[in-house]
Amino acid sequence: MHYVLHYGQITPYLPYLMGGMLISLALSILSFTGGMVIGLFFAMLRHEGGIPARLVRCYVAFFTNTPQLVQIYVIYFGLPDFGILFSPFSAVLIGMTLNAAGYLTEILRGGLISVHQPELDAAETLNMNRLQTLRHVILPHLFRVTMPALTNQYILMTLGTSMAAIFGVEELTGRAFNINSTTFRSIEIFTTVAGLYVVVTFIATILLALFGRWAFRARVPVV
Amino acid sequence: MLSFIIAEIPRLFTSYNIILLLHAALVTLALSAVGCAVGLVFGFGLSLARLSKRAVFWPVKVIAFLYVEIVRRVPFLITLMMFFFGAQVLGFSFSPLLTAFIASSVISTAFVAEIVRAGLMAVRPAQIEAAEVMNFSVWTTFWHVRLPQAWPIMLPPVFSYFVLFIKDTALASQVGVLELTQAGKILTTKGFSASLVYGAVLVLYFVISYPLARFGNYLERRIGAARHSRPRSAV
Repeated sequence: MHYVLHYGQITPYLPYLMGGMLISLALSILSFTGGMVIGLFFAMLRHEGGIPARLVRCYVAFFTNTPQLVQIYVIYFGLPDFGILFSPFSAVLIGMTLNAAGYLTEILRGGLISVHQPELDAAETLNMNRLQTLRHVILPHLFRVTMPALTNQYILMTLGTSMAAIFGVEELTGRAFNINSTTFRSIEIFTTVAGLYVVVTFIATILLALFGRWAFRARVPVV
Repeated sequence: MLSFIIAEIPRLFTSYNIILLLHAALVTLALSAVGCAVGLVFGFGLSLARLSKRAVFWPVKVIAFLYVEIVRRVPFLITLMMFFFGAQVLGFSFSPLLTAFIASSVISTAFVAEIVRAGLMAVRPAQIEAAEVMNFSVWTTFWHVRLPQAWPIMLPPVFSYFVLFIKDTALASQVGVLELTQAGKILTTKGFSASLVYGAVLVLYFVISYPLARFGNYLERRIGAARHSRPRSAV
């Protein structure tokens, strides 16, 4: 139990860690955006009913009931069996996007259900076409209602980017592993990285809350 | 290529490999269940500390608040590594399984504490005031007034967190715990096609998680319906 903490050995690596954090952020933002696009489309399909809705239900059930890690394993190690090769970064990005799409479909569907029928009737009375209704009636309501859940999902996804390290992407966690194997200062490096994740997600929470208030007048507590 | 993979199926599903996979599936389930059970116990303690109004408890309150806010913002992988390497550096000889149990308990304590706190806060203040008027002690108020009303509110989210956590335990394979993902890694190292092995692992996770998730939905509808006294629309 004689262990002396040496954070001094970690400080030279801080810029290196910051660079890794940028990659983590890029990964989370890209996959969240991709997931939102797919999720929105799927939520609409799910709302319309019929055979597409059933397929979307199967998709959601599959992707929300299996671990993201194993999904990326299949993409990164499994698909080469069929001649499809991805770089680690794109494999993780695709896996995270597909996974996020599953969860975001469910969240957005919850929002779609809560759109009031009279508002849609009013849009029809004003002779709005479907695209206009979507843009001016449905989407503002949808984002205002689902903003807290979306923020939460984004935070969880930022934490989820740490599994990219397993596939050799040098993001925050990957670089922590590298530093760990050069300095053997495990406790110091992992507490530092944990602290960085806390700071990043905290800033993200505040920024997203402010953005939600500004853009959608969402009632989100800032802290 | 597909024909090769299909030809591999009987070689993969020998009795030994099936036992390996089932054993690993049990470990996966146990990791999540133990994590959540421990999380429920400690989470209760933490949220009680945060809700108490006694001035003496303020350091505990601060610690509980910081614990919940910080631990929920650290990736599970980092927590695992912290305990894994930390135990080595400090000279404890924990098995990987014990490390994973500790790390998952630590994480789920923070998440469950938040759910429990939300449940306890959802009880109407008038109920507590009524108990005060009737001269109930703090303990009696908690046990006979607050808990019976908070319990149905927090049970469904705790259960769905348990189901969510089953998927997170896949990361425990990174410290060498023989759970489902690690079993998949072992089988691919033995030379089976990755697509086939990880496909099977995905199916096993789905088989574990999907019925539990459906049961969680049922629980939510059932308890929610009882609580709201009129059935919610089933969409």
